[in-house]
This record gives sequence, C-alpha cells and structure tokens, in this order.
Amino acid sequence: MSAIDSSTPIRTARLRRSGTAQSNSLFALILVAPCLLLSVTVIGYPIFDVIRMSVFDVSRIGVVREFAGFGNFIKTFSDPVFVQACWQTLVWTVAVVGGTMLVSIPIALILNEEFYGRTIARTIVLLPWAISLAMTAVVWRYVVNGDFGTLNMTLSALGLPFDGYPWLADARMAFTLEILVGILVSVPFTVTILLGGLTSIPDTLYEASAMDGARALHSLRYITMPLLWPFMQIAIVLNVIYVFNSFPIIWIMTNGGPSNRTDILITYIYKQAFAFGKLGNAAAGSVIMFAMLLVFAVIYLYLTKARGARDDV
Amino acid sequence: MSKARKSVLCWAALSPFLIVVLFPYLTMLSTALKQKDEIFTFHRSWLPREFYLGNFVELFVDRNFGRALVNSLTISVGATLLSLAVAIPAAYALTRMRVPGNSALTNYLLITQMISPIVLIIGLFRMFAYFGLINSLMSVIIAHSAFFMAFAVWMLKSYFATIPKDLEEAAWIDGASRFSAFVRIFLPLCLPGVVVTAIFTFVNSWNEYAMSLTLLRDVSQQTAPVQIAFLTGTLYQIEWHLIMAATLIASVPVAVVFASIQRYLIGGMSLGGVK
Repeated sequence: MSAIDSSTPIRTARLRRSGTAQSNSLFALILVAPCLLLSVTVIGYPIFDVIRMSVFDVSRIGVVREFAGFGNFIKTFSDPVFVQACWQTLVWTVAVVGGTMLVSIPIALILNEEFYGRTIARTIVLLPWAISLAMTAVVWRYVVNGDFGTLNMTLSALGLPFDGYPWLADARMAFTLEILVGILVSVPFTVTILLGGLTSIPDTLYEASAMDGARALHSLRYITMPLLWPFMQIAIVLNVIYVFNSFPIIWIMTNGGPSNRTDILITYIYKQAFAFGKLGNAAAGSVIMFAMLLVFAVIYLYLTKARGARDDV
Repeated sequence: MSKARKSVLCWAALSPFLIVVLFPYLTMLSTALKQKDEIFTFHRSWLPREFYLGNFVELFVDRNFGRALVNSLTISVGATLLSLAVAIPAAYALTRMRVPGNSALTNYLLITQMISPIVLIIGLFRMFAYFGLINSLMSVIIAHSAFFMAFAVWMLKSYFATIPKDLEEAAWIDGASRFSAFVRIFLPLCLPGVVVTAIFTFVNSWNEYAMSLTLLRDVSQQTAPVQIAFLTGTLYQIEWHLIMAATLIASVPVAVVFASIQRYLIGGMSLGGVK
C-alpha cells in the first residue's frame, strides 16, 4: 500500500517535468498573460491613440476628423510658447539632474562611512522619497510664500531683509526654486543607487592602495570614482527620464506662470489638452516627448546591458 | 581619527541638506497647530500660541477630508491587490519557467516602467471616458496597477530568484501539485518580499497625483494629494493652517511606513532594479 503511495507521485512528478516543453511554456505564458494584458491595454492603447490623434484633425471634444499629416506638428512647432517650453525643459532637466548628482555624490560617500547615527542620517536623507510630489510642492509653495511663509519668517528673524519678498512672483526666481525642490526630491533615489554602487567596491582595493602609500584623496580619485562611474551613468539616465516629465512640482508651485516662463513641455501639453482643448497639438507634443523618452530608455537598456556584460567577464 | 570626531564631521557635512529636508516638516507641524489669526499676522513665530487641534477637527467635520482619505485608501489598496494579483504569477513564471520571449518581455516591462503616465494622459483619459469610467475610482485603480506593476514584477523577481528551487522540487516529488507547492512552500518563503513590494506599490499609489487629478473630475472623488493641491487653488485667502494639517495627516503615516521598509528597498534595488 505504502509502496504504491510513494511510487505514483514520483512517476507523475517525473512525467510533469519531462512533459513536453510546449505545454510547460504554454502554462508559463498563461501565468504571464494577465500582466501583459493589463499593460498592453492601459499603456499600449493610449500610445496608439495619442499617435493617431497627432496625425489627425481632432475637435475640441475629441472627435477624430480627417487626416492632417504633419499639420499638428507644424502648428505645435510654430507656437512660440512651445519653443520656449522646450528650452525651459532643457534648462530644467540639465539643472535638476546636474544638481542632483553634485549633491548626491558627497552625501553617498559620507553615508558609506561608519559613523554614529548613520541609520538616522540615512533615514532623513531618504525621507523626501516617501512624500507625494504634489504635497511636497504644496508645502514648499507655502514655505516660500512672501507674506505668510516660514522662509521669510526665518530670514527676517535672522535679520535679513526678506520680509514680504515674493519669491514666486519673479519667473527666474520661481524657476530656480522649482529646480531646487526638484533636486531635493531626486536626491534620495540617486543616493540609493550610488550607495548600492559604493558597497559593491571591495575593501581589499582600498587596503592595497593604502599599503602602496596612497592617500584618501588619491583612493577617491583613482578607485572610488572610476568604479562608481557606471552607477552614476545609470543614475543620470534614470533621473533624466524622471525629471524630464515631472509634472506636480511646476504645476502646483507656479502652474507654468508667470506668463509661461516656468512652463516645461509636460505642463504645456497638459494645458493644451485640458485647458485649451487643442487635443491635436497636445497629442503632437506628447508624441515628441514619448519619442524622446524612448531614446532615453534605449540608452538605459544599453548601459545596463553593457554593465551586465562586463560583470560576466 | 577617532570615530567620535569622524561622526561630528559627517553630521556637520550632512547638516545643510538635512535642514532643507526637515524644514517642510517643521513648517507643516508648526502651521497645523496654529490658529488662523496667528498665520495672517505681522508678528509670526515658529511656536504656536497653544497646542491647538481645532484645524484637524475643522478639516474632518467641515471640509470632509475624511472622504478624500477614504478615496485614497480605496485606490491604493485596490491598486496594490490588482498589481500583486498579476505580478506574482508573472514574476514566478519569469524566474521559475521557460517563458518564450523572456528577455523581450523583461525589456518591455522595463520600458513601460520608464514611460510616465502623464505623457499618455490624453490617451488614458479618452480610453477611460470611452468605458464610462471617468469619475470612477476603478479607473485610477486600473491605471495605477498598470503603471506600477512593472516595478512589482521586477522586485518580486529579484526575491523569487533567492528562494532555492530544491524545496519546491522536493515537494513535487512528495506528490504536491505545482500549485500547492507554490502556495504552501514558495509563497510563505517569499512573504517578506511580497509584503515589501505591496507596501511600495501602496505608497506609490497613495502619492500619485497626475492620473488621479485627470481621471477623477468630481470633488467628491478626489484623492488626498489632489484635494490638498485643490485647496491651494482658491482665489480667496488660502487656508494654509488647514492645508498644512491635511498634508501632515496624509504624509506622516506613509513616511513612517516607508522609513521602516527602506532597508529592504535598497536591497531589492541593488538586486534587480538597477542591475
């Protein structure tokens, strides 16, 4: 009785494993299918729809009329506000990503050292990651409020002449502040990636270079930085992707104003679609942004692949 | 250099950034405990006059902020459950079986993770409008799941890969079906990974702004971040004391949960997310 009991399962288990590869991979596909279906419907269909709208004439309420070729694109490119938003997007992306790297590298290097209270310091550094960008933007809008904000309150208490200074009224100052907030919220993610990179550098390298008489600064220049570079590349590309189409900070702090001087592409597109009802223009803008995103994504895939290949060697 | 001296130096070097990080929290706390007349005055100070909790009462009783929190909670729980329901089988198949086109699929998921929903927001809006789901929490649940699922698959994959295959194979040999081996042996072992993924998806969904803003047009359907931003949009005097009380409620619990799982997040990222 017990012999039968134990032998049958073994046979079926073998059968199951030696069973045709086809049925096995069919089962695997069934497991993957819901995930793929959800993704293709909710992400794939809108991609198709936006591309279609970009080459058709679309009415205010979204009725797709006749084929328009590149009409929407030409209209979009000849809008001076669009061109201005393009430049501002470039400034925004370069400044936020560059600033984030400049701030994150020293922070990651410090957090990689052994010191008292490191866990607390790390938790505080990562804190902005946990908060909704929308709420961060709301709080900062209040902090820099000219009449009631806590920034001016603190600066005046320190004897500085900032009482009632309207930080967000001047476009240049407003954009600078938005860039600083953008840096603040990008640092946690970037530090996380860099810390991952720093812990992967073997201690033996530092010990060997110390034995050869290298000083800390030399080790930093010739060991840490070159080995951290692949992680920096990845952090840069991912940050470019996230910052390039970051919406809430600018939308909530200044809504692109004053007079479109803080608009970036994504806030421009959103206004075209949901404030002015120019769906064709908005779709053309979206397609342009989507194409740029794909380029960044391909660069990211290439970088990670290249790193994977090096790791294998 | 002694460790004590090094600690002082490290904290000193970090302090400018830490102050900037903590400044908004102090602002929230200080303002949320103030009464209205303390904010709109010339002689303001960090310390509230008294420990005043009336703003919270006003927020829930008069402004119905509770409903925004319930909406946010419904969406976040729904999106977490839906994305786990599709991500767990997919991640299992991708780590344990031969999936045709495995690498293409992984790359596809990676790219969808990078596409910001806001770029496709017009298409999303039109699609949900076609199904009559605008102003329905369901639309945001589905949209969040679709966009956050790739990260869930990615995290789960890196956890699943750490569970030795032998255990399940032993269970198969003992006569367990693939499904019962999965439920009784595999899932309990990777429960920590599933929990961390769930929390991260929850936090992402709780904090999301653009899709909730666009797909839920009705005030009664607004999520917490959208309602908070909405309150700053009045032309009349902005009620900062209420807004700061609301941001405090909507952000502190999430921040605490996030801080408690960040250790695992760093592990998961270095295992799979970035590599």
